[in-house]
Amino acid sequence: MPKSQYVDPVEVRKKGKITFKDIPVNQYDKTIEDEKENFSNEDFLRIYRDMAIIREFEKMMNLIKTTGEYNGVPYNHPGPAHLSIGQEAAAVGQAYLLDTDDFIFGSHRSHGEILAKGLSAIQKLPDEELMKIMKEFRDGIILKIVEKYGQAETVKELAIDFLVYGAMAEIFARETGFQAGLGGSMHAFFTPFGIYPNNAIVGGSADIAVGAALYKKVNRKKGIVIANIGDGALGCGPVWEALCLAAMDQYKKLWEGEHKGGLPFILNVFNNHYGMGGQTRGETMGYDMLARIGAGVNPEQMHAERIDGYNPLAVIDAIRRKKKILLEDKDGPVLLDTVTYRYSGHSPSDASSYRTKEEVDSWMAHDPLITFRKQLTDASVASDETFDGILDYARNLITRILKISIDDSVSPRMDLIKDPQAISRLMFSNQRIEKMDDRECEVLMPKEENPQWQRVQKKERFGLGKDGKPVSKNKAYQLRDGLFEALIDKFYTDPTLIAYGEENRDWGGAFAVYRGLTESLPYHRLFNSPISEGAIVGSAVGYALCGGRVVVELMYADFLGRAGDEVFNQLSKWQAMSAGQLKMPVVLRISVGSKYGAQHSQDWTSIVAHIPGLKCVFPATPYDAKGLLNSALSGTDPVVFFESQRIYDIGEMFHEGGVPEGYYEIPIGEPDIKKEGKDITILTIGATLYRALEAAKILEEKYGLSAEIIDARSIVPFNYEKVIESVKKTGRILLASDACERGSHLKDMAQTISELAFDYLDAPPVVVGSRNWITPAHELEQFFFPQPEWMIDAIHEKILPLPGHVPATNFTKQEMIRINKFGV
Amino acid sequence: MATPVIMPRQGNTVESCILTEWFVKKGDKVKEGDLLFSYETDKAAFEEESKVSGTVLEIFFNEGDDIPVLTNVCVIGEEGEDITPFIPGGAPVQKTEEPEKAREQAAAEMPADEAKVSGETKPQIKTGEVFISPRAKNLAEKIGADIRFATPTGPDGRIIERDIRKLQQEGHLVTAAAKEAYSGMEQQLQGSGLGGRVTTSDLGRPAAAVEPSGKAEPVPESGTVSEAEYEDVKLSNIRRVIAKTMHESLSQMAQLTLNTSFDATEILDFRRKLKANAEKMGLANITINDILLYAVSRILPKHKALNAHFMGDSIRYFKNVHLGVAVDTERGLMVPTLFNANLKSLNQIAAETKELAKECQKGTINPDSLKGGTFTVTNLGALGIESFTPVINPPQTAILGVNTTEQKFREKDGVIEPYMSMSLSLTFDHRAVDGAPAARFLKDLKEALENFTVLLSL
Repeated sequence: MPKSQYVDPVEVRKKGKITFKDIPVNQYDKTIEDEKENFSNEDFLRIYRDMAIIREFEKMMNLIKTTGEYNGVPYNHPGPAHLSIGQEAAAVGQAYLLDTDDFIFGSHRSHGEILAKGLSAIQKLPDEELMKIMKEFRDGIILKIVEKYGQAETVKELAIDFLVYGAMAEIFARETGFQAGLGGSMHAFFTPFGIYPNNAIVGGSADIAVGAALYKKVNRKKGIVIANIGDGALGCGPVWEALCLAAMDQYKKLWEGEHKGGLPFILNVFNNHYGMGGQTRGETMGYDMLARIGAGVNPEQMHAERIDGYNPLAVIDAIRRKKKILLEDKDGPVLLDTVTYRYSGHSPSDASSYRTKEEVDSWMAHDPLITFRKQLTDASVASDETFDGILDYARNLITRILKISIDDSVSPRMDLIKDPQAISRLMFSNQRIEKMDDRECEVLMPKEENPQWQRVQKKERFGLGKDGKPVSKNKAYQLRDGLFEALIDKFYTDPTLIAYGEENRDWGGAFAVYRGLTESLPYHRLFNSPISEGAIVGSAVGYALCGGRVVVELMYADFLGRAGDEVFNQLSKWQAMSAGQLKMPVVLRISVGSKYGAQHSQDWTSIVAHIPGLKCVFPATPYDAKGLLNSALSGTDPVVFFESQRIYDIGEMFHEGGVPEGYYEIPIGEPDIKKEGKDITILTIGATLYRALEAAKILEEKYGLSAEIIDARSIVPFNYEKVIESVKKTGRILLASDACERGSHLKDMAQTISELAFDYLDAPPVVVGSRNWITPAHELEQFFFPQPEWMIDAIHEKILPLPGHVPATNFTKQEMIRINKFGV
Repeated sequence: MATPVIMPRQGNTVESCILTEWFVKKGDKVKEGDLLFSYETDKAAFEEESKVSGTVLEIFFNEGDDIPVLTNVCVIGEEGEDITPFIPGGAPVQKTEEPEKAREQAAAEMPADEAKVSGETKPQIKTGEVFISPRAKNLAEKIGADIRFATPTGPDGRIIERDIRKLQQEGHLVTAAAKEAYSGMEQQLQGSGLGGRVTTSDLGRPAAAVEPSGKAEPVPESGTVSEAEYEDVKLSNIRRVIAKTMHESLSQMAQLTLNTSFDATEILDFRRKLKANAEKMGLANITINDILLYAVSRILPKHKALNAHFMGDSIRYFKNVHLGVAVDTERGLMVPTLFNANLKSLNQIAAETKELAKECQKGTINPDSLKGGTFTVTNLGALGIESFTPVINPPQTAILGVNTTEQKFREKDGVIEPYMSMSLSLTFDHRAVDGAPAARFLKDLKEALENFTVLLSL
């Protein structure tokens, strides 16, 4: 809601109509003769060669999957193979004009795109650079193999062996593949050639690629970004969200200087007419022609058009025109509806029962391997023998590479017996990188002149006065100030850092953490996004894996579901799936609410903790908030950063001397003893800390028991040593948080503590969580969220009966049986 | 054939010893005479040497374990030999198992014992299964608490840590050796062993005076036998016992000290004569201290309140004099007992005292010799001390401190003459003895020493 743009009621209420421009459909109509001015005979033949290599590669995959043998070489591949036989012309045509600065992101069906883009890069790169790339990639592991076992006479031939081998070994889960076999068929990539991650989640690449385009735009990097998805993906919400984020008005209206203008982004749909077995046109979608969608996105209609993906030259022509729109006119984004067809099923298990043989046959009659060849022979570009020679070459290439790819002595799998930690080491990159780039930070004023920064400096950095009472909220340095200080500091340190989400700019974030940042930061470093949680997180993934650092925000933990795939499948997985080639310096801020009922009050830390590959923290004090955010912002791993709305305004009550003015980090994974005691340990996550302190007071005053309070601070990773030490001392432990009790991560912790300290326990670890209900209205929340009295009751009932205590709540075993029996 | 090494029995009343340090580990080669481990009772420390050569095949206990005497501690033999027959309690552990495992096995047998116990009908004892938290169970094992007497206060009738702590305070402790026999008894006994544990010797006693400890008998107050005390390996057992005894002595008694001096001319002359003639008469080297011991042993029977044990609500008077003789050793203060000193000659006293002191220095003293004193003599005279306040060794009622000799002057028939004087410091427990009777003892003792040759002729 920039104030500079006035929402004028007169304008808005005026009578009128929306008009559309025509959307071109297969307008390309040049002949080979026409194109001879743009392509040499060699170019034509290379286009054909690239298509032939892809066809042979996919044919090999199909035969291996369906017959267990290719060209006399037997092999069993149990993994996936979503083949693009029939889609070669579209892939080769797209890649033809792209260079290594142009990034493509793909889908589960992207073998063809990888090969096409790789072959295009090999053609364009000078030999020395090719050698350098091959030598440096994974210390030359692939180069050594293709040098030893290949027959290449030139660097380019060697590079083709390298490309085909890297992809094939990856598909066959070999340690020598592009991603050491950890990506596989649906996730292979090779960034030195501009081939970015392909994605097994339908439409998964759309918002990630928007993030990559954002990275190029913000950091003034060359090139365009293409998301290649299938027509089936148009039914996915996140794809629509990606379009919304890619087409925001602000790029052209509010961003300034060099940053003004649309994103260099193409959403390219390889429209093969089927989303698995569902026919998108005529059955499962309503757009009739996919390109129509562009008209619904922005006035430029996304420069959408349908192009003929069965003619490589038509695709090349389109990419030439669209690149100009993106880079010269700065008028992106673009939507391409690239018509194509796959002869093979969705996967080898697909019997194609949803289409007729006639349909497949008629498309085969249009097969570019036949029709394009005929056009070229007709135009006397080459003889039939030449084409037969190309096909032989392709068969020979694929056979040769297949043999070494499946040879265990050449291409072994990751040895998890010899090195059991090989994958676990890759789950996090655990690096500390202060800034992702060395250039100057783009800011609007020195940090010291920022009015909000100045206000924060005047606050009381310790939250308790000399009398031990909390200082007034207005004077106290609050938890949100700790977050603000960490953020503004990093904005002045790391030039790549950007932050966005809903209400992030002028509003200052729904909870005023970003208040004041607008004054310091240009639009392209802090901006409002559409209400598109999926694309917010997905684009952050793309921004980070390209080399930037980003903080994005989901206003409430309850909205995590809206970004489920992006958090659980993308943010968490790419570091390990890339075998450590990609880093993911993303901080995902998530606020845990209260007062707003069932869909705005849930603590979902447990769900995040369950997913491998995410770090997860939940500070509860200003000191911890600043220190942990500093750590998160200097690391290279994705950190889901939980904050509680209940305590944004709380002062620092624990750290002696208050929150330091300077920079400091608190290591992620280390719990903190907030109060020492000897009779019982209480471990809390998040804001429940303060209720546990109240419970400790009751225990002390009424029952003479001294409680040791440990604040987990981090959930993943988590160092149990301090907790076990405490339990050995006290023999008893209660765990409490605002998460619903069933499936709470605290149960996991309780179980771990039971195993690690069984002999020291005087009673089983007991978890007190929220009820397994909906969160009721604020006025009833005391019956839902754990209260100090509940903790006393649970201790009395399950751990240490307290003389004279009369429980007010039911923590009996019968009640446990009952709530589980009824699932409540 | 493999040879088991047992925990030696150091004295008839010793039921268990604490293994303080291992000098070998499993797999080590040892020669005859090599040190295997050190161990201690509450009164003395010892080292065990290997009696055979071979390989340490298995170790059954860890440092800090309280091990019943005569139990196999480790096995030495040739590699590959079967050690199964030597596993304490005959638990069927595998050969490759670590000592911890063996211990766990032993611990695992516990419930069976308890089940047997609980099968019988007894007061305070639960029938059926015993529910006890792992922490409480470990604590009970460690301190030797008798869980049959625990009152469960945990959820669902579970015995929890505080219930075991209560047992400890109430003195329901039992040694490993006495455990089985004791578990069959219905009465509760007052323990006299380490930390107030019921020992096998207690099992023979009637169940009289079952009162919370500290009242019936001045056994160590169990509330201060903290868990940490047994875990703290830095403090030797001897030091611990001294610390406890001395502190309890000062904190629980009404002690005061009387000082006097006597003319030492006669005993010094007498000592000179002895020294000159000791060899040819076949006498022991009789010291001034021996002379004092002799005098005390002869005077004490007339002052029975000082040759007694104060028992809280009763006083035990002894017919004979069992003199505690304080000996300064490297390990710390030790007080061996010279039994029936009043029946022994000066020569006997001198010889036996020397022998006891020697054993204390070497650490080979029989723990039985460190008990049973009725009165103690401590001598700091050799160190030039002129006066001090000795601390009573409970439950005794008095202790005599012997100081240095010094030259004094007195007027005799108008002439100032020098003489050798020696002073004595008597600390007594005012709960048991009043000032005048204590002073009378000192007066009698002073007269006896000034006329020692007369005393000898009695």
